[in-house]
Amino acid sequence: MAQQITQQATGAIRQYRWKELGLLILPCSILLLLMTQLLVIHSSNDTTTLNNLKNLPILDGLIPILGFIAAILVVHFILNIFFRKADQVLLPLVSLLSGLGVVMMTRLGPDIPPRVGPIPNLGSKQLVWVLVGLAICLGTMFILRNIGWLSRYKYTWLLFCFAVLLPSVIKGILTFKNADPTRDVLNFGPLNLQPSEFLKIGVVIFFAGYLNDNRDILAEGHYRLGPLRLPPLRQLGPLLFMLSIALLSFLVVRELGLALLIYSLFLCMTYVATGKKSYVLVSLGAFLLLGFIGYSLLGYVQNRFATVAFNPADWAHLTPAEDKFALGSGNQVYQGLTSVASGGILGSGFGLGLPARVPVVDSDMAFTAYAEEFGLVGLFAIIGIYLLIVHRGFRIAAEASDTFSKLLAAGLTSVFALQTLIITAGDLKLLPLTGIPLPYLSNGGNAIMANFIIVGILLRISHNSAVEREGAY
Amino acid sequence: MQLPVFLLILRLLFIVLLYLFLMQVVIAITRDLRKTAAIGDNPDAARIAQSFGHLIVVDSGPSTIVQPGMRFDLEQQTTIGRGPTNTIQISDNFISSEHSRLSFRNGVWYVQDAGSVNGTYVNNQPAREPIPARAGDIVRVGYIQFKLTQ
Repeated sequence: MAQQITQQATGAIRQYRWKELGLLILPCSILLLLMTQLLVIHSSNDTTTLNNLKNLPILDGLIPILGFIAAILVVHFILNIFFRKADQVLLPLVSLLSGLGVVMMTRLGPDIPPRVGPIPNLGSKQLVWVLVGLAICLGTMFILRNIGWLSRYKYTWLLFCFAVLLPSVIKGILTFKNADPTRDVLNFGPLNLQPSEFLKIGVVIFFAGYLNDNRDILAEGHYRLGPLRLPPLRQLGPLLFMLSIALLSFLVVRELGLALLIYSLFLCMTYVATGKKSYVLVSLGAFLLLGFIGYSLLGYVQNRFATVAFNPADWAHLTPAEDKFALGSGNQVYQGLTSVASGGILGSGFGLGLPARVPVVDSDMAFTAYAEEFGLVGLFAIIGIYLLIVHRGFRIAAEASDTFSKLLAAGLTSVFALQTLIITAGDLKLLPLTGIPLPYLSNGGNAIMANFIIVGILLRISHNSAVEREGAY
Repeated sequence: MQLPVFLLILRLLFIVLLYLFLMQVVIAITRDLRKTAAIGDNPDAARIAQSFGHLIVVDSGPSTIVQPGMRFDLEQQTTIGRGPTNTIQISDNFISSEHSRLSFRNGVWYVQDAGSVNGTYVNNQPAREPIPARAGDIVRVGYIQFKLTQ
């Protein structure tokens, strides 16, 4: 007994998450540095000397960020006590991203032009959401003792997805006549619930559970349709139902981003589960066909694509029609590109640019604000952080012990990666701009909570598989 | 000192710190990858994996596919089920496609149900969470009873 206790004690020191603690130092100092810079700029009207730095309320101003760092450390200690074997790289990466989000919202809030803003407490709101998100992340880890539990109720998740989308569908049908894209927001008291954020997690869980059960049947195929082999109808049914959700959100709810997200997630996960390229090729063909039909039928899709086709680099020789477009419906992306371009390579410096000119800069176009103030260099670093998170996610998937956990981790990572890709490409005019938020960096409680749930599930899976492989100590 | 110079220094410091952090993460990840690669390459680990134990069918219940006395070899991580990915495949209607998991850690077998319909039991105790099992214990997978031997 005594020996066991000493073994546990030495294990506790040896197994302390030193790597995570070490990786947390730099993000914390980066955030403190940014906040200091912001305070210096805000407090100095005299922009040539440092005279008035002496009466800076430096500690007061730093309190939000210090609070954030304290919260991250608390999470770190809780992970140390309960989930010692969970992945050690994810938390530092995620905390740097969400910290950047908080600092950027603090900076953007007061500058947002009238009609929407100024919102002086945008930063503290974001901070509260991040804290709630961290709590939810830990909550997810505590609740999900057994990951297999999720797969047992997969059809419940399917219903959940559908129920969550239903109000938007009804709203979409009611307003079918006008071509504006809707924003699916449910008002529950003070909470503006954006169901699509939680929908995507439900979709991933359902797909993972469903593919886990039917992987062999799907990989073998049943019916022959020319060179194609289709699975039997009983297995095809839920799959088609899921795709119809994507289609509904595309045609009726008019939310292009969500449709893109669900459809590409479907492609990724079927490929991961079956390893057959034919599914991917056929689905891509179907996607192009549907996209073309949607393009010719729906006004809002045409508007979105018009933005992609527009070339602002030739701004000196714009025709009057193009000029009108740049100031009208293409204004958001056009302003965003101008903002990115003015950042240059090193950026204008945090707090020194004018990113708030871009409409909806705090959520949809948040990426351009980072691009302007941190420059190309900072942009590469941010994309690098996203890539590392994705790498970690797939690694957790590769190390997981059972197929369902593997599929779930791979799916959640794909959805995270796809979301980042779709919105950043949209901001940079490479894809049609859609209304899905940039994970962790843009304003909005729903996105932050949903992404922290994703991280919570990933951490839990990595903890479970490590414990199963090596034992608890 | 001039404020613009001070701000420029802060800006450059920010970029340097950001990239230092990225480098630190990449180093941590590569070290991690190398460690797992080393474990995978170790030939000793593969040799040890040979001698784990067996499951011997005691009672096959209504099944005609397995007969009492049949012997299955165990690996450190063994999965039992109907699907082709399992270590031990039993294509019986009462066995789920992924039925149960057995893993050998620190000299003890742990038996866990993998979300099956008919359940996994160790000495008639349902194994929803991993249950430790010793040589001689009866492991019931669906209606088939196995005896665990070392």
